[in-house]
Amino acid sequence: MSAGFLLIHAKPNRTWTAVLSWSLFVLGIGLYLYVAHSRHRDNPEERVTPTVAQMVRGMYDAALKPAEDDEQQVQGGSVAQRFFGSMLWKDTKATSRRFIYSMLLLIPAVLLGLHMGLFPYVGVLFTRFILFFDKIVALSMLPILFIVFGIDELAKIMLIVVGVAPTIILDAVNLTRAVPGEQVVKAFTLGAGDFDVAYRVVLKQIMPRILNSIRLNLKAVMCFLFAGEMIASTDGLAYRIALLRRHMGMDVIIPYVLWVALLLFLVDWSMRFVNRKLHPWFRES
Amino acid sequence: MAMRLIEIDHACVAYGAPPRPVLDRIDLEIEEGEFVCVLGQTGCGKSTLLRLLLGSEHPVHGQVRIDGQEHHQPDRTRGYVPQKYSLFPDKTVLDNITFGPEVSEFSLWGRLTPGFYRRRRELRVEALEYLRRIGLREADGRKYPDQLSGGMQQRVALAQALMTKPRILLMDEAFSALDPGTRKEMQKLIRVLWQSTGTTVLFVTHNTHEALRLGTRVIVLAKESPEHGSRVVLDLRVPDPCREEEIPHLVRRLESASENTEAAPVATAR
Repeated sequence: MSAGFLLIHAKPNRTWTAVLSWSLFVLGIGLYLYVAHSRHRDNPEERVTPTVAQMVRGMYDAALKPAEDDEQQVQGGSVAQRFFGSMLWKDTKATSRRFIYSMLLLIPAVLLGLHMGLFPYVGVLFTRFILFFDKIVALSMLPILFIVFGIDELAKIMLIVVGVAPTIILDAVNLTRAVPGEQVVKAFTLGAGDFDVAYRVVLKQIMPRILNSIRLNLKAVMCFLFAGEMIASTDGLAYRIALLRRHMGMDVIIPYVLWVALLLFLVDWSMRFVNRKLHPWFRES
Repeated sequence: MAMRLIEIDHACVAYGAPPRPVLDRIDLEIEEGEFVCVLGQTGCGKSTLLRLLLGSEHPVHGQVRIDGQEHHQPDRTRGYVPQKYSLFPDKTVLDNITFGPEVSEFSLWGRLTPGFYRRRRELRVEALEYLRRIGLREADGRKYPDQLSGGMQQRVALAQALMTKPRILLMDEAFSALDPGTRKEMQKLIRVLWQSTGTTVLFVTHNTHEALRLGTRVIVLAKESPEHGSRVVLDLRVPDPCREEEIPHLVRRLESASENTEAAPVATAR
C-alpha cells in the first residue's frame, strides 16, 4: 500500500482492488452466518434468518417442484422437465413476460423524445405535459390504473410505462438537443431531409446513450413491476415473495431476492454487451 | 464572364430582445469560382454571415440570394465544413464521405432495395478516390472519426462536403483548431481542391496570413461601435498568386481595417 492511502491521488493496485471490492460481500455474508448460527442455537425453530442448508433446500424445492397450486402436474421426469414445471420457472417466466412488454413499450417513448427534441412544434405540444406527468408518483396512480385497465396484465405494464416512460422521454429530448447543431446543418447540406436527420443522424448518435439510460432505469422498471405483482397477480417473482412473506418463508424469499438480482445483473450485462457490439464507435466519456 | 452566384443586399441580422444588431446593412456580391476569405475580430459576425448563406440564419432586413433565389434552409447547393463536429461520430470515414450521395439518392426504405447496394459500391470507389486525393490511406476509411487526428478529420470533412459537388463551399474557421504544420498542409489541400473543382469557397478565418494565402478576395467585417452591427469595411482583391513581398503590406492594411471601429466607407481595393 502506497503512502496517502485515503488521498485523491492514491492508486490501489490490483490486489488491493480485488480485496477491497470483495471485502464488504465477505463481511456481509460472514455477519449473516454468525447471526443465523447464534439465533438457531438459541431457538432451533427460528425462521427469520434461515441457515444456508435451509435456503438451499428451499431453493431446491422452488426450482424443481411445481407450485402448490400446480401440484396436480407431473412430478417425475428429468431435472430439466422438473425445472420447466417448477414454481421458480413459472414465476420467472411471468415476470419476464411483463418486463419484455414494458421494454417494448419504451420504444415509442424514445421516438417521442427524439421528435420532441428535433421538431419544435412536437416539443411545444408535449414538453409541458410530459414534465407534469413526470412529477406524478406512479404508485399513487396504481388504483386508477387497476380501475381503468382492470387487474390483469395491462394495468401492471401500464404502471411501468407511466413510471419510467416520462424519464426516458425527457432523457431522449435532452440527448437529442445535445447533438451539435453543426451536425444537423451539415446533414442538410449533404442532402438529408428532416426524417433522414432524425433517424439516420440523430437517433443513431443518441442510441447508445438511450440504451444506457434504459439500463440505469432497469431497477425502477423492476420496482414498478414488483409493486404491481405484489398487489394484484397470481404469478410472478414478486407475487411469490409476497405470498411467502405471509408464511415467514425466508428460506425461499432470500434466494428469490438473490435470483432477481442475478437476473437483473444478466439483463444489465447483456444490454452493455449489445450496446458495445451495436455501437463500436461509442465510448462513454 | 464569371456569373454572379451570391448576392447579399442590405442584410441586417439582430439577436435578442431588444434586438442587438450583429450584422448591419451587408452588401456583397460573389462571383462563381471565387475564393473569398472573411476576416474580422472575434464576435464581429463572421460566422453569422456564413449562417446567412447557409440558410440557418435569416436577415431581419434585406435579402440573401444564391443564384438569384432565396434559400430558407440549408441544402446540398452549399457544402459546409465547421470548425468542430464536422463528422458523424457513428459512421466510419468511408460512410461519412458517402453519406451525402446515399442520403439524397435513397430514402430510408430505398436502402432495402438491391439497387442501393450496387450504387453504394460505386460510391465507395469514388470515396476511395477522394481519400487518396486528401492523402489518407484505404485503411483509414474503416476508422471512426475519433480514431483520426484533428487534421485528418478536417480532410475527411472536406472530402465529405465535396462528394456532393456543391456549388458553394462554406468553411467556418475550419483550420483554426489545427497545429501550424497541419494547418499549412490543409491550406495547400484546399487550394488544390478549389482549383480542380471550381467550387466557390467562402472561408471564415481570423488569421490574416491564412486569408491572404488562400483567398482571391478578402473581405473584412468590423463594427462601427458596440451598439452597431458589423459592416464590410474592406473588400480586397488579392493578386493570385500573392507575391511574398506584398504580404506584409496587405497584412497591415487588413489588420488596420479589422481593428478600425470608426464609421468608414467600404474600401474596395484591386
